[in-house]
Amino acid sequence: MNDARIEGYAKALFEIARAEGSLDEVEDELFRFARSYESSDALRNALTDDMIPAAKRQAIVEDLLGGKATPTTTQLVSMVVGSGRGSDLPAIIDILVARASSSKNLEVAEARTAVPLTPDQEDRLRAALANATGKQVNLKVVVDPSVLGGIIATVGDTVIDGSVRTRLDQLKARL
Amino acid sequence: MSVLATITHFIAEEGGVSVDSEGIVTHSAFWPETAEIIYGGLASIIIFVLLAKFAGPALKKGLSGRTDKIQKELDSAANDKAAALTEAATVRQAKGDIGAERARLLAEAAAQAESLVADFDTRLEAEIADLHTRAAADIETAKGRQSDELRAEISRLSSAAAERAVAESIDDATHQQLIEAFIQKAGSMAGSASV
Repeated sequence: MNDARIEGYAKALFEIARAEGSLDEVEDELFRFARSYESSDALRNALTDDMIPAAKRQAIVEDLLGGKATPTTTQLVSMVVGSGRGSDLPAIIDILVARASSSKNLEVAEARTAVPLTPDQEDRLRAALANATGKQVNLKVVVDPSVLGGIIATVGDTVIDGSVRTRLDQLKARL
Repeated sequence: MSVLATITHFIAEEGGVSVDSEGIVTHSAFWPETAEIIYGGLASIIIFVLLAKFAGPALKKGLSGRTDKIQKELDSAANDKAAALTEAATVRQAKGDIGAERARLLAEAAAQAESLVADFDTRLEAEIADLHTRAAADIETAKGRQSDELRAEISRLSSAAAERAVAESIDDATHQQLIEAFIQKAGSMAGSASV
């Protein structure tokens, strides 16, 4: 799908979520779903397989998100998958999240960690990243076991890498 | 019959006339009559004179022409012989030249063959030397490649072992320490975040 169409879908989803009055919650749920989608081959294959009828793909989405996410989030993901744009879901959601953050004068900050952060750690990390970048950030924490330990934070084009994974890669390069 | 009578009779018989006892004259079987001899002789002389006068020049001219023709033929034969001899000499000379040319060509071919063999030997030696050099280089490259592959394998195994060891050694407390260290580090950057 071309960029204009992805932008169009993101804008539509953004407007729907804002109209529903649950933009913060929806964009956070969509962000997490996008990361899960990226990390799961089975989910990605199921939602992008044209041999599976659209209704069946939408049923998969509703089974996955039903009861765990807001109805708005479930319906938005179901709509994108049903229209055959499942492969563009992460790009659409990233634009939506950036648009939502921008509407609040925030910069999206993605933090990848091996283990979940406590609310206190998230607050302090948010403040630390704001201090480091000079921007207020909309923190999105992604639990990624491949990080092994520490955090990889991305704010715009800036990457702050304090992960064990990167240190191991550097060690491997030296070897 | 007396001897004289016999001779007379013989002469008479030789003269072509014989007279028998009855006076009958019989002409000789060999001799014509005298008058006939005279007339015939004169006629013959006249004929010879006429032949000498009228046919003689033509005959003489014919004989002379034939002589000239024969002479020309003799001269032509002599010329042909001379030409043949000249041609034979030329052929003999050419044959000699051919022999010399053949010898020269053979010598030249032998020289070229020798040169080719020498050149081939030189190139062969150079090629063998080049092959040796390339083989040595290939061996060194293979050694290096094997060394690199070995190093890469060691690195991969070491990395895998290190990763497994690290993953197993990081407990919750270590996770929290790493997270806190990162938060402190990010907080201390104060607008100087770098990639």
